[in-house]
Amino acid sequence: MGSDHASAPDLPAVCTTGLSKSYGRHRALSNLDLSITPGQIFGFLGPNGAGKTTTIRLLAGLLRPSSGAAAVLGLDVVRHRDEVQARIGYLPGDFVGYPQLTAREYLDFFASLRPGTDRQHTHALAERLALPLDVRIGAMSHGNRQKVGIVQAMGHRPELLILDEPTTGLDPIVQREFLSMLRTVRNVGRTVFLSSHVLSEVEAVADTVGFVRDGALVAQSGIEELKGRALHTVELTLTGPAPVGRFERVPGVRRAESTAGGVRVWVEGSMAELFRCAAPLGVERVATHEADLEQIFLGYYEDGAA
Amino acid sequence: MSAPVLAKALRDHRRGVAGWSVGLLCLLLLEGALWPSVRDMTGMDELLAGYPEPLQELFDLEAMSTGVGFLNAELFTLVLPALFIVFGISRGAQSVAGEEERGTLELLVVTPMSNTRLLIEKAAGLVAAVLALGAALFIATMLSSALFDLRVPVASGLAGAAALSGLGVEFGCVALAAGAATGRRGVAVVVSAVAAVAAYVLYVAGLLVADVGDWSGWSPFHQALSGGPLGRELPGSSAWLLLGAVAVVAASAPVFARRDVRHV
Repeated sequence: MGSDHASAPDLPAVCTTGLSKSYGRHRALSNLDLSITPGQIFGFLGPNGAGKTTTIRLLAGLLRPSSGAAAVLGLDVVRHRDEVQARIGYLPGDFVGYPQLTAREYLDFFASLRPGTDRQHTHALAERLALPLDVRIGAMSHGNRQKVGIVQAMGHRPELLILDEPTTGLDPIVQREFLSMLRTVRNVGRTVFLSSHVLSEVEAVADTVGFVRDGALVAQSGIEELKGRALHTVELTLTGPAPVGRFERVPGVRRAESTAGGVRVWVEGSMAELFRCAAPLGVERVATHEADLEQIFLGYYEDGAA
Repeated sequence: MSAPVLAKALRDHRRGVAGWSVGLLCLLLLEGALWPSVRDMTGMDELLAGYPEPLQELFDLEAMSTGVGFLNAELFTLVLPALFIVFGISRGAQSVAGEEERGTLELLVVTPMSNTRLLIEKAAGLVAAVLALGAALFIATMLSSALFDLRVPVASGLAGAAALSGLGVEFGCVALAAGAATGRRGVAVVVSAVAAVAAYVLYVAGLLVADVGDWSGWSPFHQALSGGPLGRELPGSSAWLLLGAVAVVAASAPVFARRDVRHV
């Protein structure tokens, strides 16, 4: 078990086709088609109630699809559930441990359920997150409980990590450490499926991002591509007058408006043309705002709503 | 072969079994302490002879003049069966449905262990807990007998404890199975409690109504209590209790393996 399996290059780590789940008349997920290349961190984004948790619980084999299918590590999650469950690590969105057990007892219990778990590795992970091992889970802060859940999910070096909102309750320092642990996992060829509604953390680690809304996948793309497509705001302070119309004709510029000391333009992709045009006008100062995922993300929602 | 879920179940039941055992011991000692004064009552036999026949049979009143009969009438025909059933149902409902409602079940499911194996280990833990309580009952009975001169033969003590354990196992497994099939503790408790009451009604009706008599053999109460229960020996029909327990758990396994695990 472990990294040697994980890098089978042809099989997607996760592949769903028309995956749907309904509860009575409520459709929690409809026709999700998703394919995730192994060896990357996939950020699964969407507002609460969009279907993220439903998707994750379907992939973990906790729910049965109403229609469609999901394959995890090349195996159908319904037909090969136990094998899938042996090879993934899972952190639920609201992790609950046994309150009467200490973290060490809890992790040892799960190690005994997963043959081949290296307890030293588990304890090393705990140490990295500064998790106190000999405190009863019931007496722990929310953040420490969450760490128990994280270590439980990662301790057996699963080929695919499925994490539902993993950074909930973690303080920023631990959050950073955790994200670097995810990069380590990715760097040895394993796959991480991470859901979140916190965009900054996804932006910090994910290679690919999928947006889900109202139970359906809205978009999926590489994070760099996504950012490349994004609008940047550039504020130019000019010594002379600002000919807004001239800026609007520059390739890549979507919009321009005059400001007190110059001009503000929204540009997509390369800024070379913009600066070529601006240079003769006497540029005193430039401020650019890189578009973050939030804007892109909101863009998707606005498009969808329109 | 390691059985981590069973090992944890045993650990979880430990405290409950200890508490209940102390309770049983107190109950048996208290009841035993009454025996010398009951034995010395005059006119007891005349009083009992006046009771309707079905009632005499129900509480084994005929034998009230012996220590064994006294314990049967006072504890082993109603109070102790009820206690063992309550213990079995509460533990059984807790085993799968309780974990599911608290949110700890889903991580147990997302392991290499199959749901069926999980259910079997949970059932084994439940059976072990009830048997441990049965052992405590046996010890309490013999201790009370020795202290207050009830003269309960060891074989009778064993038969009584085994019969009541059988009832606890049977209805505990009904609760476990109903909880595994539905994921709801409330449903597990209601289903198993209704089953227990229905079984008791069938048993009592069998004693009162001649036409029902043939059917009462189906009642777990009949299977467990018809021998005394603190009696000569364990009736062969008590094997049905175990068979019934195995059957309900086996019936719930495919449902548990296929249904959605509920989200808290």
